Amino acid sequence: MALDNQTIRTGRVGRGVIGSVLSGRLVWTIVSFLSLLVLWALVAALLQSRLFPGPVEVGSKFLSEAASGELGYHVGVTLARVAVAFLVAMLIGSAIGIALGRAKGADQFFDTWLIFFLNLPALVTIILCYVWFGLTETAAVLAVTINKIPNVAVTVREGARSLSRDLTEMAHIYRFGTWKTLRHVTLPQLAPFMAAAARGGLALVWKIVLVVELLGRPDGVGRQLYDGFQLFDVSMILAYAIAFILVVQLIEILVLQPIEARVNRWRR
Amino acid sequence: MTRTNQAIHITVDRKAFPAVADRPEQLVLRGVQLAVEEGSFVVLTGPSGCGKSTLLNIIAGLDSDFQGHVAFSHADPKLAFMFQTPRLLPWRTVEQNIRLVLGDDDAQATAKVAAILDRVGLSEAATAFPERLSLGMQRRAALARAFVVEPDILLMDEPFVSLDDPSADSLRALLIELWNRRPTTVLFVTHDRIEAVMLATRLVRLGGTPASIVQDSDVSLSPTDRLDREKVLACRLRLFENA
Repeated sequence: MALDNQTIRTGRVGRGVIGSVLSGRLVWTIVSFLSLLVLWALVAALLQSRLFPGPVEVGSKFLSEAASGELGYHVGVTLARVAVAFLVAMLIGSAIGIALGRAKGADQFFDTWLIFFLNLPALVTIILCYVWFGLTETAAVLAVTINKIPNVAVTVREGARSLSRDLTEMAHIYRFGTWKTLRHVTLPQLAPFMAAAARGGLALVWKIVLVVELLGRPDGVGRQLYDGFQLFDVSMILAYAIAFILVVQLIEILVLQPIEARVNRWRR
Repeated sequence: MTRTNQAIHITVDRKAFPAVADRPEQLVLRGVQLAVEEGSFVVLTGPSGCGKSTLLNIIAGLDSDFQGHVAFSHADPKLAFMFQTPRLLPWRTVEQNIRLVLGDDDAQATAKVAAILDRVGLSEAATAFPERLSLGMQRRAALARAFVVEPDILLMDEPFVSLDDPSADSLRALLIELWNRRPTTVLFVTHDRIEAVMLATRLVRLGGTPASIVQDSDVSLSPTDRLDREKVLACRLRLFENA
């Protein structure tokens, strides 16, 4: 029998080790990153401007800031603010979201409030917090938290509205009680919504924290960026920006993604 | 007919679903009175949509919007409910699903869970997530969950619907085995007449709109007769002759 006319299916495995590594995501990420670096270096070499430093200058600034401990300190301070604001906002926002998703009357009443806070510009909240509570650490974290709460509440409310009545009835029959029901029935159903809120939330909190620091804190990445702006030290601005991007990516890969994978492991 | 040791006394004078949008109020049940004897296996049957499930939900306390009352002989009866769908928590393993219905302070919980899983033939699947199992296996897990709490009253709402015949048969056999081992008062809703005759010690038929009890008969088949298809069919003809 001639094989010529037959379709031969080759599995992906058949392409060999090199093929699968080359098509891997990691390789593409590296290639893409390197080409961005090359493009940046080319533009910097063409412009020859103090205001547009190339990767080498920014890299050495990054290393000297890191060596002096300045970089670590300011990134750490910002990170701490982000962590507190993020956790408090997730906790309060989720509680509000669950309450509004479950109680129709409360939802109708507070909907206007939620829309108000959702559309209140972040800068207004920050200024008001500083005006009312002084240029303090509490005011700074509070401003970030208030900005974030309505977003979490709206997302979690969507999840709370779609909670399965079937499972609630089951929990009632088998006498789960409040705590067991929350932990084993309600929260797992809300998990995807909370993950979405956490993701979008973290991105938002990162950005607002910098503005808060710029306006009224003596330390943190936001403050360093402001100093860089005043001195027209673009290398410093870019060095901190890159440090910041690296930290955000690390948190995404090392914290958020594993949590998401664990929460979703029961799905087919 | 006088019955001793009543486990449940149900009186539903009136049950209606309120009007929604353009649909008028729907009267479902009227004048339903039922006394259930301790340890009996009562099968509630009747046409689809006649209010059998509604009656079961009222007894379970899931629906309190009705006129009448439900009285239990136990002060605080332990209930189990096997629903039309398994209603397992998809994010917990089979083992965890069953463990969760037992109290946190139950020292024997682990042993009880292992024993019931073995009895229903799910030991191998203990650590699997429910959605990875076939519907028949999920139903076994739901059955195990219902029996592990050692209920005073077991409510079942068409628990074997939409299974193929062999799976449904083996689940029915398993139910009979579990019930014989640990008798309890059962209220079982089905519209499958053969299933009704196979399981019931008493058969209650609902009918009419709004529904009320149109037939109430004892089923006196012996355990061996229940597995005999001929006898079951003959009994079905006798019981449903004027249906």
